[in-house]
Amino acid sequence: MAKNVIEIKNLTKNYGRNRGVIDVSLEVSEGDIFGFIGPNGAGKSTTIRSMMGFLKFNTGSIKILGLDSVRDRNEILKNVGYMPSEAWFYPDMRAGEVIEYAARVRGIDCRNEAAMLCERLKVDRNKKIKELSLGNKKKISIVCSMQHRPKLFIFDEPTGGLDPLMQKHFFELIDEYVNEGATCLLSTHVLSEVNKYCKSAAIMREGRLTMLESAAIDDDTFLSFYEE
Amino acid sequence: MKYVFAKEIKMNMKSLIIWSLSVGGLGLFCIILYQSMQGDMKEMADAFSNMGAFSDAFGMSTLSIASLKGYFATEVGAVHGLGSAMFAAVIAINMISKEEEGHTGEFLFALPVSRMKVLISKALCIIVMLVVFTVICTGMYYVGINIIEANVKGAEMPAGEFIRYMMMQLLMNLEIAAICYAISAASRRSSMGLGIGMALILYFYDLIGRVVPDLKDYLFIGPYSYANASEIFSGIEASTGSLMMAVVVTIVMMGFAFWYYDRRDLAS
Repeated sequence: MAKNVIEIKNLTKNYGRNRGVIDVSLEVSEGDIFGFIGPNGAGKSTTIRSMMGFLKFNTGSIKILGLDSVRDRNEILKNVGYMPSEAWFYPDMRAGEVIEYAARVRGIDCRNEAAMLCERLKVDRNKKIKELSLGNKKKISIVCSMQHRPKLFIFDEPTGGLDPLMQKHFFELIDEYVNEGATCLLSTHVLSEVNKYCKSAAIMREGRLTMLESAAIDDDTFLSFYEE
Repeated sequence: MKYVFAKEIKMNMKSLIIWSLSVGGLGLFCIILYQSMQGDMKEMADAFSNMGAFSDAFGMSTLSIASLKGYFATEVGAVHGLGSAMFAAVIAINMISKEEEGHTGEFLFALPVSRMKVLISKALCIIVMLVVFTVICTGMYYVGINIIEANVKGAEMPAGEFIRYMMMQLLMNLEIAAICYAISAASRRSSMGLGIGMALILYFYDLIGRVVPDLKDYLFIGPYSYANASEIFSGIEASTGSLMMAVVVTIVMMGFAFWYYDRRDLAS
């Protein structure tokens, strides 16, 4: 039986009087591509940002790769590749500098992997961030999240802004890394991505999470998740 | 941690050069002007030293503006005191909050580096920048003083007081930077205006404190109290209270920045 890479138990996070997530429990096993769906504001990003240590949650626990998300945050992040929904970098840095900076802070030599990723995603390393389109910034974000060959990928709406060809390359890369033993949590609004790539899935609505029996969902069921 | 530090230094280099050359250059220009104004200085000095509270506020009742050190304390003291404080406030008040304002926090904090280490790196960057700023300004003032000493008969700048003044200014800048660093840790947006306002308020607090007799007992609270040019060049030692206050404020503010930032949610 595959071990759990993500174990969230009774996670609750609120923002003062505003609801974040309520009593969320979730398990993602090794080798899974896990679809994380739900309407805007449902709590997907709050869950993800709690996992990453950006948010201080109120109650519950999060274990990633068997480690405590609060106490062992740095150790966890060494083996996590995260891609936020919006790709923001330092505007005056060049794409290559950003990629190199991320690798250096990680303290590992990622040059070969970064070169391979840049070639496949057609990243122009010499351009300054402020000169890049959203799609091209997303590609840098993909390289930064993958170049250290992490054990777990956490993607928050990763394909927004990417052209169809790049989306195809992106999922090919995920497949390759997962086939080599990685796990992927994919937050998305795109049904075809869930149907085509995810092995299991869960939906968040109004801060609560429900596991789905299958990641194979039809259009009507999928749209019903977004209705009030 | 060293890469975060190096990146901060690189990103702030342009700002450091512009501020150093602007404040240092303005100070140098003021010093050079001494030569052309020297002839009229004696009458000006007499007039300025008899202007009551105004003379006290700018230190012209204790120092003669006709002497090089009096002129330096009055003119460059104001330029450097205000300029360096603004620089310290501006770099410190954006140092942490810029990550959330520019939405780069998610990139930086998704890397395996703790918030503490990021804050240490950024604080070290501020310290290095303020030291380099002070060294550049000191160098430029030194050049100006040498030019004046070589060309104006009898003009002399006491080296010990000059060095002490610049060191006290550096300490004052560090204190102001610590206050602004704490604000930056608690803020999610750029507060450039607040930083500049903070520097101006502290400057005018000291100025008003020297004019209004009732406020004199509370001057030690502000950072300008121990870095006042006219007192330093008059040979007056900084009070223990003001120095103690500077150390306490700096430590408390830095402590707050680290404590608060480690506990709060980061905006996306």
